[in-house]
Amino acid sequence: MKKSVLMIAGSVLLMLSARIVAAVPLCDKSQIRLVNSMREIAQPYHANLDKGGRMFARWAGLEQRYILQLNQGDSDKQVSLMRGVLTTNPRCTIFNVEPNADLVVQPMVNAANQSGAWIVTHWAHNEGLHPFDGNDQWIAHVAVNSLEAGVAISKLLAASIGGKGGIVALQGRLDTDPARKRFAGLLQVLKSMPDLRLLDQQTANWDRTAAFPIMQTWLAKYGNQIAGVWAANDDMALGALEALRAADLAGKIPVVGVDGIPEAIAAIDKGEMIATVSSDAYYQGSIGLAMGVCVLTGQVPLPKAWPKEKREYYLKLQVITKGNAWQYRSDPQPSAYVHDWDCANLWNRSTSKAF
Amino acid sequence: MEPQHEQGVLKFSSFHPWGPCVALIVLCVGFGLAEPRFASMENLRVIADRSAIPLILAVGMTFVVLQGAIDLSIEGVMAVSSLTVAMLVLNSRTGLDLGLIGVLLAVLSGVGIGLVNGIVVTRLGVPPFMATLGVWSAASGFAMLLSGGQPPLIHDQTLRAFGLGRTFTVPNLAIVAILVLALGYVLQHYTRFGRYSMAIGGGEHLARLTGLPVDRYKVLAFVFSGLLASLGGVLGSARIGLGHIDVGLGQMFATVTAVVVGGTSLGGGRGGVIQSAVGTVILAVIADGMIFVGITPDLQKAVQGVIILSASLFATWRQRGRLRIIR
Repeated sequence: MKKSVLMIAGSVLLMLSARIVAAVPLCDKSQIRLVNSMREIAQPYHANLDKGGRMFARWAGLEQRYILQLNQGDSDKQVSLMRGVLTTNPRCTIFNVEPNADLVVQPMVNAANQSGAWIVTHWAHNEGLHPFDGNDQWIAHVAVNSLEAGVAISKLLAASIGGKGGIVALQGRLDTDPARKRFAGLLQVLKSMPDLRLLDQQTANWDRTAAFPIMQTWLAKYGNQIAGVWAANDDMALGALEALRAADLAGKIPVVGVDGIPEAIAAIDKGEMIATVSSDAYYQGSIGLAMGVCVLTGQVPLPKAWPKEKREYYLKLQVITKGNAWQYRSDPQPSAYVHDWDCANLWNRSTSKAF
Repeated sequence: MEPQHEQGVLKFSSFHPWGPCVALIVLCVGFGLAEPRFASMENLRVIADRSAIPLILAVGMTFVVLQGAIDLSIEGVMAVSSLTVAMLVLNSRTGLDLGLIGVLLAVLSGVGIGLVNGIVVTRLGVPPFMATLGVWSAASGFAMLLSGGQPPLIHDQTLRAFGLGRTFTVPNLAIVAILVLALGYVLQHYTRFGRYSMAIGGGEHLARLTGLPVDRYKVLAFVFSGLLASLGGVLGSARIGLGHIDVGLGQMFATVTAVVVGGTSLGGGRGGVIQSAVGTVILAVIADGMIFVGITPDLQKAVQGVIILSASLFATWRQRGRLRIIR
């Protein structure tokens, strides 16, 4: 009896002390710097990453402490820009990173480990690398399950044509992970639907202009055998859509894509595309900063104490169809994200442990 | 055995234009036999449509290359003209609705950039390779600023309909391309600009000694190339329906390839717009034909490379040894 009381008391004390440890702020809030590191801001996806980051910074009262780093597609530059900021007060600096390439994650994480800066990464990193393998400054990796995205749009495309008929597929750059996995998602759905036939697949390198002539050639080759168009991203879907428009087929042949860019959403509204999948750029551009602030202000324990599934997880994807497209028509209000930024809800959009 | 020593029009010293044409015919027959649908009227239209913008770019590039220079800036020019046209005609961003005037202004943007290329090359003495590379970068950056994360959508329905439409079953863009080709042909054969370009490429030093205003014609060539690149950017935007910084993605390399495959020497002084047109159509036929015969995307790049190499070897076999790839 006495022993168990002692044990309970002891564990309560332990829990309390854990709370207390967690509650010690690592930085004065006014010292915290928020860095969003991404490729560029000319395209809607990247522009929205930045908007999400700024929205969070304003909400957290750190608007003056927000830094945007653009590497213009240059991985070395992404690392060197990071090192540039680390010369002053690294321990209060948070990096939210859209890696220019998988390989850039390792050097950036190393830079964080060495300097004491904090980093959250998105999308994919090279294999065998994990935040929980002694990378204490790497708060988390928020992965996107491209296979799931590929499956989701493929199912919707199949459903829209009654599960049978011929489809054509536009792949992304073949040497990229999302391109391979999204296409694998399509193949998986094809396997379960014997009446659905893949007439042909080509790569348009994620590019809208490149997708246009490929779709034209398909129309010349297959004519009315084509019942649906699958594209690994919205840009290519929209390029194919314009080729369909030139042939007076826009809206008559369903098109699906991935990314949820504004024009794709408009096309879904008009009935010219039927679905896209979004990872929610506003969320990706802000969640890493929110995690960092929660860690630095001591509102959550140090990341090295988190379980593995909180440090590397898949992000819940949003499937956008005619039914819910209206919700995505304009820039969201911060109020839509405040709940997700709360230190108690940081993992709200996790579906499962990644990789 | 040595046909290059024969006398007459086919003699070696003048460019022998039949090689690329034969290559083109061989490709068409090959693809047509492998997949009869390749030879349909509809597919001919698709090939014409596919060739249109590259052909316009290639005509402009030809004069620069004939002079022994190169214009690497065309993707940047296309990006700028794409954003410009999309922001001047009825669009989702600026509230302007200048219609045809907007289109003309956008096409003129390329003249401006071409002028910069020409001045940097002739007045500042920067080699064309570096000068136009720098201008490409600067122009892309400018286009990115214009784009600002919110690519302007083109709502001008006349422009859209022109970009996507056909006149008497011929794609409108192909008609524009043929007009541009005709213009290029006239410029090359019936104007000083064309003849002097050839002379400058054949021997710039000599051209200067004979008192030709070499610099003026060099600037003109860059201006013409810029003009046609911006026209290509405008037409590309009319087709995809927005101002897009990547409207010319990959076009620079494709254009140079088309010009060279056609038989215009990168060393200058040899070739012409008709050759470039043949080169452009060869590339379009390859890209279209590979889809028709079902070559998997993983292999297409490699196959394309092999076909281009064979085509250029075939086309230039008679000139081997004398072929000056680069000076």
